[in-house]
Amino acid sequence: MRKLLNRWTGPAPAAWLCWALSLGAVALAFPGAERAGAWMARPVMQAGVALLALLFGVVGARAVLRRRFDSALLHVGCACVLAGWLMGRHAVRHASPDHPCIGSMVMVDGEESDRLWEGPMLDRSVGRLPFSVRLERFFVERYARNSDDRDAGRDAPVREYRSRVTITEPGRPPYVANVRVNEPVYVRGYHIYQMSWGHSTDRLGRPIVYTVLQVIRDPGLRLVYAGFTLLFAGILFFAWRIFRIQGTSAREVPA
Amino acid sequence: MMVKMTVQGGLIYLTLTLFAATVIARRGGWRAIGNAFWGTGFVAAVASVAWRGLHTGHPPMQNLFEFFLCMAAALWPLSVWSRWRNGLDTTVQDALLGMLILVPAGFVFGEEVRRLPPALQSALFIPHVGSYVAGYVLLARAALMALPLFRRDVADDRMRQAETASRQTAVVGFVLLTLGLFLGSLWGKICWGHYWQFDPKEMWSLATWLVYAGYFHERLAHGVRAPRTLAALLWIGLLFIVLTLTWINLSRLFAGMHNYA
Repeated sequence: MRKLLNRWTGPAPAAWLCWALSLGAVALAFPGAERAGAWMARPVMQAGVALLALLFGVVGARAVLRRRFDSALLHVGCACVLAGWLMGRHAVRHASPDHPCIGSMVMVDGEESDRLWEGPMLDRSVGRLPFSVRLERFFVERYARNSDDRDAGRDAPVREYRSRVTITEPGRPPYVANVRVNEPVYVRGYHIYQMSWGHSTDRLGRPIVYTVLQVIRDPGLRLVYAGFTLLFAGILFFAWRIFRIQGTSAREVPA
Repeated sequence: MMVKMTVQGGLIYLTLTLFAATVIARRGGWRAIGNAFWGTGFVAAVASVAWRGLHTGHPPMQNLFEFFLCMAAALWPLSVWSRWRNGLDTTVQDALLGMLILVPAGFVFGEEVRRLPPALQSALFIPHVGSYVAGYVLLARAALMALPLFRRDVADDRMRQAETASRQTAVVGFVLLTLGLFLGSLWGKICWGHYWQFDPKEMWSLATWLVYAGYFHERLAHGVRAPRTLAALLWIGLLFIVLTLTWINLSRLFAGMHNYA
């Protein structure tokens, strides 16, 4: 039993596993992000990832027993990343209308809402947030128009767009926040992202500018970041070992 | 393709010429002359970075053009380090690599500061792309250093030397690849809302990372008993990198979230 475990959790089969996973990753690059993501959300693939996380955990634990701490950090880190990802997927599957996971809100200036929507036209209700968002004002700023823009007869590219919102959480006075691209706002377990914006007309045919905010809750995020940290620490440790052993023996003992 | 008729362009083309002269001189057997060209090329590369910094008034690390200039200036110290640490002479391969880096800087990237779309305006832009570029350069060096491992007639200690040098270079490249991947997923979370989206470029980068992870496992499992396998793995990794940079970037087959052109 112990011999079998030694053989199957050693570096030789692990190398083959790495290459098999690499081919799998290449295969998933072809169908495009959306279909690959949908494919990975299937129960079979989730079970496969769970199994992989378990394997990483076992290898990490064995590395601790053998005092190979670089290997331990690396493998436990990988296990944490995969487990965190699975937690996020689990939350998405078990999201309820009063505790939604992911959705978008489309707003014009002055509008207030706590509802999230999904679908290509954002017309399917996902649920209600534990706070409400009021769009005070949406801003679009462009770069200065240069000669290239004038020659092409177009506006200068957009430099920044942002939504100034007022967040109202129960038991707290309302406060103002700016949601920018690359600067999400964090409220009660949810990140609010500036996703996109566009032009439309209202019922009377007057032009309006709307903003699209995306709201996401991911309970596995901290575990994923913790996993990244462990994994990176392990890799630094591993690199340090490779430099240190140089000159003593080119054929060191396998882990 | 465009030629830069500026001081900056002149410095880049001077560096390119000196790197090419290094390769020609060394191949022709004029060792000292080749080394002189290599050293002068480094001075020209540093001058090119310094000029950029003085000209724009900011540290020259804020876009890919500037980053490529820095990488070209880093090659001479890297080759000196390889000689000191591993006793390897990597001048010719480093000069070739330097030319490969400077061609996009000299002929493809624009000198003017690009007007970035909102998604690219992030403090993580340079660390993310920079880790990858530096990692790719080191992994390319590792593959070149592993070339003697393919040969049957090479002496045992010479082979060991090449193996150690290539592995040490590869591990630093691997650290940078990992850092680039993490910074990328962190940025993905901040910008797109998720740290992993199964974007084609993400998948190819992960595949590349896994090839190198497999290489390190193989080395642990079998030591240097199969040197040709180790060298072949480093070259497969490099093939993945070249594919990521060319096919995945340019083909419409892999349209995804990394398309900011």
